[in-house]
Amino acid sequence: MKLEFSVNGERREVDVPPNTTLLSVLRDDLDLTGARYGCGRGQCGACYVIADNRAVASCLITADQAARMEITTVEGLAHDATLHPVQQAFIDEDAMQCGYCTSGMVISAAALLGRDPNPDETSVRDALAGNLCRCGVYGRAIRAVLRVAGPS
Amino acid sequence: MWDRRDPERLEQRIRVESDGSITALSGKIEFGQGIRTAFAQIVADELDVPIERVKVVLGDTDQVPFDVGTFGSHSVAQETPLLRKAAAFARQQLIDRASKKLGVPAEKLDTQAGVVVGGGKRAPYAELLDSEPLAGTIPDGVELMPDKRRKYAGKPMPHIEARDVVTGRARFVADVRLPGMARGAMVRPPMRGAKLRSLDDSAARTMPGVIAVVRQGDVVGVVAERDEQARAGATAVVAEWHAIPVDGPTAEVPMRADAGVDEKLRGASIRLAQTYVLPPIASAPIGPSAAVADVRGYGATMYVGTHRPFGVREQVAKTLGLPEKKVRVLPQITSGTYGRNSAADAAIEAAILSKGSGRPVLLQWTREEEFAWSPSRPEAVLEISAGLDADGRIAAWHYDEHTNVHTAAGLDPQVLVVTSGRNAIPPYAGFPAKVTLHIEPTRLRTANFRSLAASENVFAIESFMDELALLAEQDPLAFRLRHIEDDRFRRVVEHVALRSGLTEPVSARRGRGIACTVYHGTYVAQVAEVEVSLSGAVRLVKVWCVVDPGQTLNPEGVRNQIEGGIQQSASWTLKEELLHRDGRVMNTGWDTYPIATFRDAPESIEVLVEGDESAPPTGVGEPGAVPTAAAIANAVYAASGARMRSVPLTRERVRKAMAG
Repeated sequence: MKLEFSVNGERREVDVPPNTTLLSVLRDDLDLTGARYGCGRGQCGACYVIADNRAVASCLITADQAARMEITTVEGLAHDATLHPVQQAFIDEDAMQCGYCTSGMVISAAALLGRDPNPDETSVRDALAGNLCRCGVYGRAIRAVLRVAGPS
Repeated sequence: MWDRRDPERLEQRIRVESDGSITALSGKIEFGQGIRTAFAQIVADELDVPIERVKVVLGDTDQVPFDVGTFGSHSVAQETPLLRKAAAFARQQLIDRASKKLGVPAEKLDTQAGVVVGGGKRAPYAELLDSEPLAGTIPDGVELMPDKRRKYAGKPMPHIEARDVVTGRARFVADVRLPGMARGAMVRPPMRGAKLRSLDDSAARTMPGVIAVVRQGDVVGVVAERDEQARAGATAVVAEWHAIPVDGPTAEVPMRADAGVDEKLRGASIRLAQTYVLPPIASAPIGPSAAVADVRGYGATMYVGTHRPFGVREQVAKTLGLPEKKVRVLPQITSGTYGRNSAADAAIEAAILSKGSGRPVLLQWTREEEFAWSPSRPEAVLEISAGLDADGRIAAWHYDEHTNVHTAAGLDPQVLVVTSGRNAIPPYAGFPAKVTLHIEPTRLRTANFRSLAASENVFAIESFMDELALLAEQDPLAFRLRHIEDDRFRRVVEHVALRSGLTEPVSARRGRGIACTVYHGTYVAQVAEVEVSLSGAVRLVKVWCVVDPGQTLNPEGVRNQIEGGIQQSASWTLKEELLHRDGRVMNTGWDTYPIATFRDAPESIEVLVEGDESAPPTGVGEPGAVPTAAAIANAVYAASGARMRSVPLTRERVRKAMAG
């Protein structure tokens, strides 16, 4: 079926089978591979995108649900050459190893800071609790988000 | 096989490109441990160019020198001197060429940011190529850049790929997109080793988007235009399987057999015997296995995540019946897999699907497939007995390790002692020891896992050291130090105790525990602080670590690796257990196989990198994970009086131990 999306501030059209997930549309139809496949069940956070200001698992929403939302993927966070402050902070804290889960973490953190510019450490841990990381960069990622948050 | 190498040749290592940029070549693979950055640092320093001008090509089998694989945390240790010498030799050749071209004697020439300068003249590297690439056997005595002129080595640097990672532009294996690429999905048997008895693919072939149902031997898969279509097709294939139970091999390997162990044990004034148990655990990468194969015409190009590109080339060539030189393996950025990538499963399957369908195929394993079909860390049962003499020193040590194979390398005893037997011999001195490795059968598929058996052995040895000390009414730190003869080992142990305030009082229900080891030449000591609730829930509060990996190129990279190792090991220790029956894994999702989350991360992990700069660099990818389980278990004892001899340290288990 034909659908029109709002992704990263642009209108995009796709023609996909019914029940295709947003994750599949992003990765396979729009070549936005920054959202990663991790589990297909919303349990790992690797595929998170911002949908209407909230971080959601793109593997759990269907394309036609997503067509009614404003979608921002990790590719859409930076403006031209300027990184989103969370992206810069992840670089500055070296808050990554293999980087597979990083997109999802950055999305969760950006969504958190969008609704609460000065979160405390507990809020950061709660907001990112859905993002699994196996390399073990949790401590660095927390520091990165708090660095953007500044003194609360 | 470990040192199979032709003499090092410059053209296999360093290329100066026509724009003056540098390409450095290595068969090692980056998977989050930061080697691309480390190699770029070395080469930039030695060739005297800005680091942005160095491109590091890793693992492309058409370009890089043969390499046996990236494991055992050896990459930096092995490759650093080779690349450094190659780069220094390249600089020497550039100076020689400049000397001829400029008519200035070589000894009057120097380099400066990619330009040879001297005698009032200058020649950028790019102008010295004359379409004749630098080449030649790299001599042993190449003069290296003096330390004071090295700008990058030893300096903290973020990963070179960092910007691509945070913007989502980094392309992992499953992000490779080729023209005409189709998607694959496998039809899985009910259990490992099952043989295909019959196959009915008539329904699957008519499903939307399905291009082909491919069978080669007992491997069956569906190729379709879209991922969902391939999966739907695979579900529609009706396959009957003949189940053949697979049992692992058996072996018994004496690792150390000093004289007098039994007599000294009998004559000891205090004796202690304990058994420690660790369950199998999953590599559990966040990104499940994936591969892209393009098998068209007479040849194959493979886009894979692997630790050993040349091994994949060999396996794929064999699978497809092609000569190795017709297979090109292009390693891609991959999710960290902690050893799991040593098996080329997805690559072989993707190659079969591509050959059978005549299309390039991306095969992405599902989360369930990853848990169910990956090799896992084997379980281990460690039996230790030791006796103390009248002075409270260890008089004799008896150790039996029962486990399964830790690699796919088979039962060569020399391989077994360094894989399944890794760190089974205690790092302490002054007593005779008998150490025996027993490889026992299992139906679980077990193979390469971060640090192999070291984490299991060190959990047992370091828990037992605490138990021995307490039995002899000695301080655990002092007891360890009495048995340490190596100064570097002593230093990290003493320092972590001091730094963490190991012996200082802590608040109620909290406790601190120490553990230490020497892993492949890297000295590492850790103290964990935990809080144990009345119901037995363990919270990891803080970890301190002192590590000596010899000469240190990138201290920030070392810290990141060690922290990650500790965090991952804390997850193994507190949460993880793979359940299996008849070789079939029972917990195949994050809901049934939980790992540590942001909420479980300790308040801080403090890593002090105190490398002995006079010693050669050793690995840091694995050692951080090794002592953590014992440090946590020893801390749990200090906090609650519960001695935990089996992991994971779940609330229920700790509560029982507290009550008992």
